[in-house]
Formats: sequence, structure tokens, C-alpha cells
Amino acid sequence: MARKKLRTKDQHIIRLASMVDGLGSILYEKADLLSYDCDGFTIHTALPKAVVFPENTEEVANIVKYCHEQGLPFLARGAGTGLSGGAIPLNQEVIISMVKMKKLLSVDLENRRAVVEPGFVNLKLTNSISDKGYYYAPDPSSQYCCTIGGNVAENAGGAHCLKYGVTTNHILGLEVVLPNGEIVEIGSNGVPDEPGYDLLGLLTGSEGTLGIVTKITVRILKNPEDKQTVLAYFDKIEDGSQAVSDIVSAGIVPAALEMMDKTAIEGVEAAAFPVGHPKDIEALLLIEVDGIAAGIGEQIEQILDVCRSRNVREVRAAKDEQERAAWWANRKTGFGAMGAISPDYLVQDGVIPRSKLPEVLQKIKKISDDSGLRIANIFHAGDGNLHPLVLFDARIPGETDKAMEAGSACLKVCADVGGTITGEHGVGIEKREEMRFVFKDEEIMAQTDIREVFNPDNLLNAGKLFPTPGRCAEVKKEMKEAAIS
Amino acid sequence: MSKPEQELKQSPPCTNSLSNYLWNDPPDENKWADCVHCGMCLESCPTYEQTGQEQHSPRGRVYLIKSVAEGKLSVNEQFMDPVFACLDCRACTTACPADVDVGGLIEEARGQVRQAMPLTGWQGAVSKLFLRGIFPHDSRLNSLGGLLKFYQKSGMQTLVRRTKLIQVMPKHLVEMEAIMPEVKKPIKKKYKSENVIKAKGETKREVAMLTGCVMDVMFSDINESTINVLTKNGSAVVIPKNQTCCGALHVHAGDREMGRKLAKQNIEAFEDSEKIIVNAAGCGCMMKEYEELFREEPEWKERAEKFSEKVEDISKFLHDTGYEKPKAEINKRITYHDACHLAHGQGVRQEPRDILLDIPGVEMVHMPNADRCCGSAGIYNITNPEMAGAVLESKMENVPADVEMISMGNPGCMLQMAIGVEKYGRNQQIVHTVQLLDWAYQKEESAKEGQ
Amino acid sequence: MITANLEKLQILLKADQIKDTAETAHPYGNSGAMTVFPNNENEIVAILKFATENSFTVNIMGAGTKRGYGGMNERADILLSLEKYTGIVEHHPGDMTITVKAGTPFQEIQDHLKAYSQRIALDPFLPEQTTIGGLVSSNDSGPKRLGYGAARDAVIGLRMIYPDGTIIRSGGKVVKNVAGYDMNKLFIGSMGTIGVISEVTIKLRPITKAESTMIISFPISDMGSIKNLSVRVLDSTIEPVCFELINPELMERMTGEKSYSLVMSFEDVEKSVSYQEEFIQGLMKDGIKLRRLKGEESVQFWQSFYHLLPNGNKVDSQFRSETVLKIGTINMNILSILKDCELIQDTNNVTIQAHGGLGHGIMNMYINGVANDVRDAIEKVRNIAQKHQGYAIIRHLPFEQRKQTDIWGPKPAAFFLFEGIKLKVDPNRILNRNRYIGGI
Repeated sequence: MARKKLRTKDQHIIRLASMVDGLGSILYEKADLLSYDCDGFTIHTALPKAVVFPENTEEVANIVKYCHEQGLPFLARGAGTGLSGGAIPLNQEVIISMVKMKKLLSVDLENRRAVVEPGFVNLKLTNSISDKGYYYAPDPSSQYCCTIGGNVAENAGGAHCLKYGVTTNHILGLEVVLPNGEIVEIGSNGVPDEPGYDLLGLLTGSEGTLGIVTKITVRILKNPEDKQTVLAYFDKIEDGSQAVSDIVSAGIVPAALEMMDKTAIEGVEAAAFPVGHPKDIEALLLIEVDGIAAGIGEQIEQILDVCRSRNVREVRAAKDEQERAAWWANRKTGFGAMGAISPDYLVQDGVIPRSKLPEVLQKIKKISDDSGLRIANIFHAGDGNLHPLVLFDARIPGETDKAMEAGSACLKVCADVGGTITGEHGVGIEKREEMRFVFKDEEIMAQTDIREVFNPDNLLNAGKLFPTPGRCAEVKKEMKEAAIS
Repeated sequence: MSKPEQELKQSPPCTNSLSNYLWNDPPDENKWADCVHCGMCLESCPTYEQTGQEQHSPRGRVYLIKSVAEGKLSVNEQFMDPVFACLDCRACTTACPADVDVGGLIEEARGQVRQAMPLTGWQGAVSKLFLRGIFPHDSRLNSLGGLLKFYQKSGMQTLVRRTKLIQVMPKHLVEMEAIMPEVKKPIKKKYKSENVIKAKGETKREVAMLTGCVMDVMFSDINESTINVLTKNGSAVVIPKNQTCCGALHVHAGDREMGRKLAKQNIEAFEDSEKIIVNAAGCGCMMKEYEELFREEPEWKERAEKFSEKVEDISKFLHDTGYEKPKAEINKRITYHDACHLAHGQGVRQEPRDILLDIPGVEMVHMPNADRCCGSAGIYNITNPEMAGAVLESKMENVPADVEMISMGNPGCMLQMAIGVEKYGRNQQIVHTVQLLDWAYQKEESAKEGQ
Repeated sequence: MITANLEKLQILLKADQIKDTAETAHPYGNSGAMTVFPNNENEIVAILKFATENSFTVNIMGAGTKRGYGGMNERADILLSLEKYTGIVEHHPGDMTITVKAGTPFQEIQDHLKAYSQRIALDPFLPEQTTIGGLVSSNDSGPKRLGYGAARDAVIGLRMIYPDGTIIRSGGKVVKNVAGYDMNKLFIGSMGTIGVISEVTIKLRPITKAESTMIISFPISDMGSIKNLSVRVLDSTIEPVCFELINPELMERMTGEKSYSLVMSFEDVEKSVSYQEEFIQGLMKDGIKLRRLKGEESVQFWQSFYHLLPNGNKVDSQFRSETVLKIGTINMNILSILKDCELIQDTNNVTIQAHGGLGHGIMNMYINGVANDVRDAIEKVRNIAQKHQGYAIIRHLPFEQRKQTDIWGPKPAAFFLFEGIKLKVDPNRILNRNRYIGGI
């Protein structure tokens, strides 16, 4: 545990240690730092200089100010469950861990909002208000352990975002420590449409490159009166895809519309929360409808009809809450479950126009065949957010690279059909170069221009989100700078 | 302190390429290969909850264990710290989507650490005294002197001094319900001359029972209750003579060698039994995992596997084989604490709750995070008193204010929770699930006799 | 100055796309010495490049309904009108997305979508005139924001033209997208100060099978009982898409009946809508009145509601000099603000008509009276809003009065970031100069 005294002469460590609560709040020795050399994305690793655990905004601001003055790279980390490497200290950063700032500061049911510290765990918010009939809508699969601060950084989504939107649609206000240590309030009191540019929207999803969020006002929602979940098994993946389109075309807005393919089913069934899905189907759909109880039966009937008209093998609604929960636990632990059938996996996060689903699945299958690596597909079919999971074994030389190539190829497919490279996991380190699949140099530069306003020295989480500058962009930037000066 | 690395490397008992694990029985590569670093385990871990530091989280520990094998880290104090700070509560195993056996890895790693850095100082002395000197020996266990030392060292002396530990002791319980049997001597002694304790009424089956080491001295009444409940429901009970301590505490502490020795003795002692009933979750869990100790001894591994299949917790056994629902009422508000090694270790959650619910008059109150570790964890509260205290505090916060009893299925938890009740000025009584059932039966009988 | 460069502009555009507007002052300002009407994106790019090269300032306009919304300059060198830049670029009914050109009137898009039983889930004021570009630039929203969200929740992609003519796409054509910064958010509501919107991609929702509007009126102005009832409804599981409180003065203007009224809308399948109606009926007690608007009555009501806002492009007989404030606050504080504002009507001799969404915290307030009184009232309202953790900005006021009024209120702490962003994108400040907060 906490050691008695500092065992270092490094002045930076000594100063940083003085800014937090004792020696239990700083790590600087290799064995302790090792656990911080990656997050949920394990392909790249790099050791941080130190990890500090501030307990309030002032401590964060002091640390940031110090790093800013001393030119020390730094970044913020929550639970470290990110899947794109956003919290990996590429530049030997000082990691500012937000996990000790984990209080639920206030709940205001009348005005449907709650104020939390960034280290507060997503699911705990819903658990804290569920007895009153309220919940926090964004539900990333890692919600058992991921922090809301991390959700803001990544603009996290989740299975139920189809109807209720992603994190950005539920953030009302932020307190932010800017990269120079200044504390600013954005969306004061959580009041909507604060005059001025929508920094709330800009910061949400900026992957920790514009500032460090220290307080978050979120919107909370009333629990739907009722919800029902339907599970459907399809022999042909095309039928499953078509059923997805049909459901949406029928004018139903499901709360969630999830799909898993054969390989994914094999994974979840081999792991900790099996529910007995048949292993010989090509696709399963998990469809949830919520809202006013009186209106749900009709929608469920419609969904059952749609599935039947698409050659479903078996389709039924959950018989009780227990069954519904089991189906969801099976789905929500889907990524981790791949550990049961493969030593390593790389999860991708492409988004495509829903109608392109069959075409894209075909192409992903081809990538799998060509690379010789198995690819499981778990996805939020309702909003076209695909999670191809490339299964590989890092112990086999060259296989990691092959997996990354296959992952990248999947993203190329998504981008080429008019989609995008990430729907909820963020760009991080992983998809930096793939940004070029969707953005031109000028467009990337437009974004780095914004970063410069907030983070001019680029000490905060540098090297993330954007590709290494292309020749063209560099030249243009030089020209632009020359023109201004 | 650790020996200088140089010295360690001079005479390794065994070596493989990169790995810094130098002894036999190293952590199993296949166990960490399942971990994809997703982080789903974080919130389940009591030490991560307390520290917020990832080296004190399951995935962090697995990562470190893997790093040693990859040669990125050596077996030193900084490695030992997180590995030994683990409570071995197995909550992470429940949370893990890929079923990573974190507990198994931790125990294997501890085995390595203990060989690289034998314990010295008072910690070493205490560990040695208990693990090698007392638990495996009935006679010594029976001497209370040793136990008092145990309490003094574990920071429980105030408790003992004030004799408030009586809250878990039978006398107090007798007063409470006036149906309790008086304090008995250890049942292993009591039934020394009986080969089989007969079932009351028709004998449906015969089962063997683990009496346990601490259990039989400190909690002989629970053993008594277990026998009562078993015989009441048609099971004849055998108490094999040569059985010994299950070895859980040794294995948790990294003394795998002693663990193996005890395991072998038990495997032999219970060779002829069909079913082995255990009323201590920690023992049951250990005994179900004996095979892990024998990865390098195939013959024993096989015997261990057979043995493990026979091991069953009393609550699950009752649930599966059926039991008579008591008719007498115990009018108490009760909450249930999931012992880690019952809930996470053996997946037994609902069975004990069902038993409690079957007792007329019992009002069950939900305890939030009921399957959160209480901090007992073997001799953890001796070796890591600070952390154990913090974990206990957060456990006690979850104990509903207005319950009269806290029921559970593990003696270690019972001691720890009793400390919690005392320390935080609460007034709950700590009971073993099987005791409540037994009392209900006894109350029923004495009512009949009264008539 | 601009007229001297007319020739260069004539090379870029056809004669009928250029109009000399140097002589005509517009009562709402935000005009230009020259008005240009591009038909396509290339022309917009060319115009902006031309302006940048010659350091001409550019005001941007859709249908001009929001000309009274901010802006301290009567005119720029060029008024870039997008009213000819209209049309649907692509609509994918299966994907439920649509891409439209910025000048397309909102209602025109809704009419197109109706055939597919789809719609944009937004309810802006003046839907027939307001363009999608204007709507997005101002992040406008209507009373159904509770159920629908605002423009920032509906827009998934933008095609922006920077002052130097660079085309910047943000977002995309899919409903979920976290590739790079969420630049959409930056542009939405930026009042045309950091780029010209060329195309907007929006996610669509199905048109619900049934809808219903109910009005509860409170003949006695008792804020306590209004609040109690509101909390009951909002804390229940029914799902109104609109939960708007209208003050007596505004209700009188709309229906002739002067009392505080709660307007509720339900949109769902038939059974669900009638269940919710019954729920509301069940809440009725003495002293309050419930009315369910049927068919034409409902159409009429909403028609008049969405035309409460004066059209900044009407300069003739329909010119309305009233002041419209947009107030944002914590949801339920709307009640306190309305209560506190009652007094101002008497002290300042103005009428205040107002409505606000108790489920989202946005209000509109219409103030009529003598200019000085109104100006004073604005300050008072702003103070009241601030007292209740909110803000008040002016979303409609003739130019002459604007000049003497603080439109945006105090600068927020993060203002230096606004300025930094503006200067990065538009270093010469040629776009909508002085239109936005703090003179951005």
C-alpha cells in the first residue's frame, strides 16, 4: 500500500506528490506504473512518468498548471476501459487518474439532472436513482465499471442509444480544467443553449485533448413505464439484416436493436453468461421496445410479424425480467467474452448506413477469409454501428499486425459505403491513420486548429485522435501561418 | 525485504526463457491468456474500490503476473505488494466476462513470491505459527492460548478483552432463543467413538462431513447444528478421523507446499466418502480447487478432481436433496451476507436465502452489495489490517440499520462481521444459516415436547 | 466600396444573382451593400474567396426570418443570401437520413418526407419560411424540444464553407459518429460567424401514428398548484413530447382566455396516446380546466403558436417591433421567472407574453411597450433570469433598438475560447461580424 516516504530524487515527482493527498496518491515506480501502460486497447503500451490521484478540482488544476509550466506531457484517465488507446501515455505523460473523484454530488429529480464527479461509475448513477424511477440513459457495455468522465471524453454510446442518443445528448454542463490549469464552467448550472459556441458539444468526445473534465451535470430520464425484449434467431444473416430494416421502416423506434453473428454467439456462449443460443444460426437479433405499456404490445406484435416474414427460425419475447436481464448480460459482456475463444481480440467500431448491412457483412467476411483470422460481429444494428472483433493470438509472431490490418480494412469498408470509422469507441491511437478514410487534410486541420485554441502547447494527451500530419496539410499550414504573420 | 536479484538468479531450481518465475508451479499462462484487459472486473474488487489504483485491481494484478512471466518485472517487493493485497474474494471471477481465474493466478503467484522472499519478522512468525504450527494440529488448535495470540495479533484483543466476541458464541444465542444447545466440545472429539451418526428416522443417504480446524473449536455449535440438520433430513453423518485443515489459509498465503500436504491428507481421509459436506465456504471452495495444487502431479490431480466433485456446501446440499420446512417461528429481521467463497467461489447464492425464507417468521431484508467481501479473507486481517479495516467499513455501511441478525455461511466472515458490529456500534447478531434452520427445528421439537 | 468591385463579382455570378442593395436600409439590419444569390456551392465558395481576397465583410442570410436576432452592424459589404440555394441532395428512407441544401425551407423538407411517413424531429417557429440553414445556425427549437431535442440533437453532418473557401465536412451521414471532434456542435448555433453552412444532413424519425394536444388552464394564478401538477406529470411515466407553460397574457392572445395554461402533446401509437390522455384526465380537480384539442382546432392552435415569433424579413404591414427574448434556465425555475416577471408588466407599463418548457428550460418572452420601457424591462428580466440560474438573450429586435441594447448579456468565463475559435477560423472576421456574443 502507501509507502512511508518517497523513494525518488526526481523533483517533478516530489512536487507532484506535494499536490495530492500523501504518498498513497502518487505512483512512480515501474512495477506500479506497469498497470497504466495501456487501457482497454492493449496493442500499444507505454509507461507513464507518474500517476497522480487528485481528489478535487483544485488539485487537478494545480497538477495541470505545474505540468503546463514545466512542459511535462499529461493526460487524464478514468477506469481505463477505453478501446482505442486514448489513455495510453505515448509521451511518458503524467497520468491524472480521476478515479478518486467519484462522488455523486447532487440529484435533482424535479429538474431531471444530476451532478457527478468524473470518476463516478456510469451504472452507479442509474443504481442511485432507480428506486425513484429514474435512470441515466447512455449505457456503454462497460457501464459496470467505466466512469462518466471517460464517457464524456469518448462521447460513449451503448445499446440503448438508438432511441435516446449518446452521451453528448445527455450532458448539460461541465466544469473543465483547461490545459493551462484554468478552471472554466461550461453550461453553467446545466442550463441549455448557453449563449456562445457549443463548447459542451465540442468537449464531449474530444478524447481528453481539450481539457480535463472535473464536474459533470447530466440529464437523467424517467424510467419507461414498460419495456419488452424480443430475441430472434435467423439461419441467414441476410434475413436478420433485412428484419432490422423492416422494423425501422415500420415506424418503430426500438430502444435497442442489437445483432450478433455466428462467431460472436460462439464466444458469448463459451463465456461467463451463456443463455443457450443455438450455435448453428447465422445471426440473432435482440430488440427492445420501451415506453407506455399500453402501446408496447402492438409494437412487439409488429416486430414478431416482421421477423416471421423474414424466415426467422425462432422468435419470442422475454418471459420475465430475469430472462431479459440474462439476455442483456450475455450481450453486454460480449467483448470480454471473446477471451473465452481467443487469447486476444481487436474490436473495431465502424458505422454504416443501415441499408448497407448485408453488403458490408459480405466484405468483412472476405477480409476474414483473406487474413485467415476469425472475425466476430457484435453490433448495434439499429444505428448501423458495427463491432467487428478480430480474433488473434499476439503470441504468434506477426499476427498482431495482421489483426490490425484486418481491422483497418473493415473500417475502410465502412468508410467506403458512406459510413465512418468510429461510432462510440473513439479514434485514440488505434484509428489515427484511418481518420484519413473519412477526412481530407483540410478537415483534419480544421480540427487541430480547434485543439490549438484549447491546447496550444499540445501537452495534453498529444498524439491521439489525428493522423501524423500529411505533407499536404503541413505545407498548407505553413502557408497559412506565413500569410497570417 | 527481498533478496538481491543477483543472488536469486544464481541457483534457480528451474528456468524457462524470459520468465522471472524461478520455481516450480508458476502462474499458469493459459489463465492470463483469457484476460483481454477489458476492465469489467474493476468495480467488483474491494481493494480497487479502496485505492483506485490499477495494480490493486484484478486486471492490474493479472497484468503484473503476466509481466513477470514476460520478463518485464521481477519477483520483488513491488510485485509482492499487489499480489498479497488481494483479498482472494473472487468477486472478479464473477464479474469477468471471460471467466479468468484471477484467484488461481494470485495463489500461484503468491507461491512464487513466498519462495523468492520468505516472510521474516513478526509477520513471518505469525504466519508460521498459525499456518504450520496450529491449524494442521488438532491438539494445538484446541488450546485456547494459541487462539488468544491470534486475536491479539489480529487487532481483536479489545474484542476479546471486552468479551463481546460472545456475540458469536453460543451462550448468547441460547439466551436469545432459549433453544440453543449448550456449549459443546469440538464434535470431532465428541463423536470420536461413533463411526456413523445415525439419521433421525429413515436413513436416505450417508454423507461425510468436514469439521474444519478453527470451525470445530470456535464454532463447534455450528458443526453441531450441521449434524442436527443433516440427520433430521435423513442423512447419516460420518466424520472421517484423519481429516485435517483444508489448507485454504496456507494456499492463500502462498504456502502451497503445506497446502498440498494437507490436501493429500484430506483426499485420503475422504477417499471412501460419497459426499463431503462443508459448512465453511472458504474450506469448501478450497477443496473444490485441490486439483489446482497438483498441476505438476498428474496422479494426485486426478484424485483431487474426483475428491472435488464430492465436495458440497451444506446449504446447496440441503437445497438439492430437500429438507423439511420448519414449522416453528423465528421472528427476526435478517439480512444475508454472501461469503465470497460461497457466492463467487462456488456460485451458491440463492440456496441459503431460500433456506432462510423457508423459516416461518423470518423477515429478509436486502443488503446492498451483499456479495462484497467483508475483509476477513483468511489471515488477511493480520497481514493487511489497514485494508481489511477499510473493506469492513464499507461492508458495514451496507448492513441495513434495522436488522436483528446477519446470516452467512463462513466462519471467517462471522468473526469479521462480529468485529464490524462491535466496532461500528451496531447490535446485530451474527449467525450461520444452518444454525437458524437448526434452531427452528429445535424450537419446533421443544414445542412438541411442551405439549 | 463594394460597388467598385462589382465587375469582379459579375464574373462569378449572373446578373440576376447580384442585387445592389446599398440604398435600402433594412429595419432589422444584418443587410449588405450588395446582395448575392448563389445557386450552388461553387458560387458560394467563389463569393467567399472573393470577399476574403478583398477583405469584404459578409453577412449570411437564409430566408431572413432571424434578421432581428443579434448583429450590431446594419450592413456588411456583401449579403450572402442562400434563398436560391435550395433542394434535397439525397434522402435515404431506409437509413432515415436526409441531406439538404442550406437554403431549403424547413416545411418543404417536412412535406417531402411526409410521403415516406418520416420527418425531422424539430418544431421551429415560422416553419414555412425558416430555412434549414438558419435553423441550424441558431440551434432553434420549439416547445416539442422535450420529446424531440434541439437542432444539435438532430443534425448528423454538415458541409461548411470557411471564409477562405475551404470546404469542411463535419460529422457524416450516419447516426453515430465520434471520428474526430464533434465539429457539428461547434457550427450549430454559431450564428454564421465561423463558416457558411452549405449542406445539412439530418437524422429522421418516423411520423407517429397518433398525436394529441391537451391544455390545462389554471384560472387562478397559483404557481404552487401549477408546479404540483407539473411535477406529478413529469414524475410519472407518461411521455409528453411537449410540456409548455404559457402565461395568461400569451394565452389570451392565442385563445382569448387569460389564464396560465399547460400545453401538452402526446405522440405515439393510438393506444398509448389515449392512455396518456386518460392519465391527464385523472389528474383533474376543481379549479382547473382541461381541454383536448381535436382535429382542426389542434392544427389552428399550433399554427398560431409557431407564428408567435415575428418574421425578421417582414418590413411592410406585418412589421412587428416587439422584443422577443430567449431565456434559458433550470426547468422548473420557469415558474419563478414567470411569477417575477408579472410585476414588470405593471412597473414598466409593458405587456409580457411568454411560454416556457418545464421539461427543458427554454422560454420565449414577447415584450411590447414604449422603447424605453421595454429596454428597462429587458434588463429587469435578465436580472430575474440570472437570479434563477439562467440567462436571457434577445432573439428579435429591430436594428435601431438593438444598437441601444445588450443583446447577449454578460460574456461567459469561456469567452476567450470563443474568440480563439473565431480567430482561428475567420482571422479577418469577415463573416457575420458583430452578430454574436461579445462582438464575435
